[in-house]
Amino acid sequence: MTPRTFGLGALAAAALAVAVAFPVFAGGYYVRLATGIFMFGALASAWNLIGGYTGYPDFGGAAFLGIGAYTTGILMLRAHLPFAAALLAGGALAVLAAVGMGTLLLRLRGHYFAIATLGFMLVLRQVAANLPITGGGSGMNLPIASAFTPFYYWMLGTVVLGALGGAIFPRSRAGYAIAAIRENQDAAQVLGIEPLPYKILAYASNALLFGAVGGIYAYWFTFIDPPTVFNIDFSIQAVVMTLLGGPGTALGPVAGAIILKILDTILTNISLFLHNVFFGALVCLLIIFAPRGLAEVLRRRGGIVRAIRAELEDSRV
Amino acid sequence: MTPAGLEGVLRAEHLDAGYGSVQVLWDVSLEVRRGEVVALIGPNGAGKSTLLRVVSGLLRPRRGAVTFDGREITRRTPEEIVRLGIAHVPQGRRLFPDLTVAENLMLGAYARADRAQVAGDLDRVLALFPVLRERLALPAIQLSGGEQQMAALGRALMARPRLLLIDEPSLGLGPIVVQALMEVIGDLRRGGTSVLLVEQDVGVALAHADRGYVLETGRITLTDRAEALLGHAAIRAAYLGLAVGDVGRPGSQDR
Repeated sequence: MTPRTFGLGALAAAALAVAVAFPVFAGGYYVRLATGIFMFGALASAWNLIGGYTGYPDFGGAAFLGIGAYTTGILMLRAHLPFAAALLAGGALAVLAAVGMGTLLLRLRGHYFAIATLGFMLVLRQVAANLPITGGGSGMNLPIASAFTPFYYWMLGTVVLGALGGAIFPRSRAGYAIAAIRENQDAAQVLGIEPLPYKILAYASNALLFGAVGGIYAYWFTFIDPPTVFNIDFSIQAVVMTLLGGPGTALGPVAGAIILKILDTILTNISLFLHNVFFGALVCLLIIFAPRGLAEVLRRRGGIVRAIRAELEDSRV
Repeated sequence: MTPAGLEGVLRAEHLDAGYGSVQVLWDVSLEVRRGEVVALIGPNGAGKSTLLRVVSGLLRPRRGAVTFDGREITRRTPEEIVRLGIAHVPQGRRLFPDLTVAENLMLGAYARADRAQVAGDLDRVLALFPVLRERLALPAIQLSGGEQQMAALGRALMARPRLLLIDEPSLGLGPIVVQALMEVIGDLRRGGTSVLLVEQDVGVALAHADRGYVLETGRITLTDRAEALLGHAAIRAAYLGLAVGDVGRPGSQDR
């Protein structure tokens, strides 16, 4: 373990301890804000697995969020299952859907994949709007939870899962295969790496987190309808947060979610109009100045500092 | 299952192959025997790389069969073919640019089951290409062209192949580096590895090969021992730029 990864690990552990204790001393507003940050931290971490590490620009994550939300809602409302069981089923169904769709869509590359995933999400929105079991266009009311702090911990669980996934993924055997596929799929293939199963693994892991977040979100907000959960905004925010923090890094997406959500909250309080302008401008600035995110900017600055130091030491001799 | 002796390690028979509506290979047959370096030469667009893609399973032929060690591999996936002992060094090196040299090399051993021996093989590859040892922690994209070709060849060797398919190793490299690569290929052959070498530099290829095949517009037009091909009038005129009577040592400086 290098000093740097050890430092990051210690920082993450300290942050986790603070996060666990947070609802004890913080007011309801801040707990709610933090729950939202965790939610998007988990979505960004999830997108990072398929979009960052694997290099497949998924824009249909909301499909899995919706599957998780509706499965949880339907099982709680119609089958009277406890929340945890319904949530588990929602996550499992999202994974199954990802394996099925991934088998078809992950053969596409680049823009074609992005558009196809978006199409898949929109199809599911139409299906949800027209099925009797989902309540159709008028949506679905879930039972109201007796307390709201548990949602904070559920969302904390998803973001921890996402960050752990992001940390373990690149160091695993599958992670190396996925890096090879991202860098050059043809070359990976002639080395004996069969691309599709690994891509499905990344896509299904992404779907598991989107699905789990969807299930928690549904119970937390107590009302879902097709446009709220099958909403491309979830994907776009996850993408921007990942790009801000650093795609293909373990904690970058979470850092991106924290920064963006806090900035967004401040700006929304100042002006509803401004906050959308800000969002668009940020995307443009990011792509121009830091296409690999803040993690890369920090690394580069470290490099500059080291270079200057080496230069000074040379001149002393 | 595999008879000893001169039984062909690789045999391609009556291959037709292409992309979409374009047929590239027409009734191509070729053989690489155990421990042999076979050069596949011919002009741009003749189908040389396509033939390698068929052998390594990246492209399904429309007709014909490929056998390796007497086993049919025509319908197998690239992953299975690597495991059977055929490694492909694609044209343009195709390294993983943002991964380190060490990661690139280790990925070459990805399909292997005998992981305990991989570290020893890494040492052997680094002994063949000592310059790579100093570059292990660098991203592959920062290597020079020659070093990249060495890394690509080293990565293929990490699969411990019995047959190496090498596509245009000299592309964009200086004569000294090409000479060094060819010497490594010679070492491999002495170690019992068979090589199917696709090469634009016909002089270099034939100087280091046992036999050669000439592929023109998707058809094998000529095959012979390498020395015989070097002396062949049509080859000398078309690829080496020499008239029939010219005296000249075969090699890159003769072009």
